[in-house]
Amino acid sequence: MGLFDPDMSTFVLFVNGPPYGREDAYTALRFAEAALAAGHEVRQIFFYQEGVLNASRLLSPAADEFDIAAAWQRLHHQGVPLVSCVSASLRRGVIDAEAAEDAEHDSTNLAACFTLGGLGEFVTAAAEVDRVVQFG
Amino acid sequence: MTQLTVVFRQVPHGNASGREALDLVLLSASYEVDTAVCFIDEGVYQLVKGQSPKIIASKDHIATFGALPLYEVDKVFICEESLQERGLSPDDLVIKAKTLPRVQIHRQIQQSKQVLTF
Repeated sequence: MGLFDPDMSTFVLFVNGPPYGREDAYTALRFAEAALAAGHEVRQIFFYQEGVLNASRLLSPAADEFDIAAAWQRLHHQGVPLVSCVSASLRRGVIDAEAAEDAEHDSTNLAACFTLGGLGEFVTAAAEVDRVVQFG
Repeated sequence: MTQLTVVFRQVPHGNASGREALDLVLLSASYEVDTAVCFIDEGVYQLVKGQSPKIIASKDHIATFGALPLYEVDKVFICEESLQERGLSPDDLVIKAKTLPRVQIHRQIQQSKQVLTF
């Protein structure tokens, strides 16, 4: 733990944009990277609406195109929790092992660096930070 | 100072923003977060009576706006000008809520710690 820094802020990001086709998710990613680089804390990135599609492990861009899934993974390795809204995810076909078993699906596709969580996880995290920033 | 203000500004059909925004409002209120709701621009159509979303295979989230008082969400503000511009009056809406001039809606948004727009 570093010394207390009065210039350090805590953030929760709220991402509604899909992984491709709109810029919102990419902008959120860049914001998070810049915030961490400047010494701020990103307490949680919460994915809602079409944002939950970022949590699919099946995103397969062409080799010469930007790989947002890999970028989310790098961000997660820097300690940022990536939480995809469970009900918004299930409606859009993003599913973890537990939900797949409940729904009797034969496969799952939630990327390992994401967790499915309720809106309550967002609301709880949001209440404890300096800023919530919405993307899309 | 309000903790969270959720702003509805899109039509109720054609996308799921209104439904998912309302889910967020109710959840937030159930966590006892001081939550306000504003309806501006096209968002005032979210509240118009007599809509039939089931015909287009959508969940009828419009009826659920009636549950706001049950969740103790009493800061519900509807933009007066947005209603007028669309030929709507408070009698056309599924809930009884305060209509406010646009400048006061702006003030409400400014006085909120967090704002999410749908």
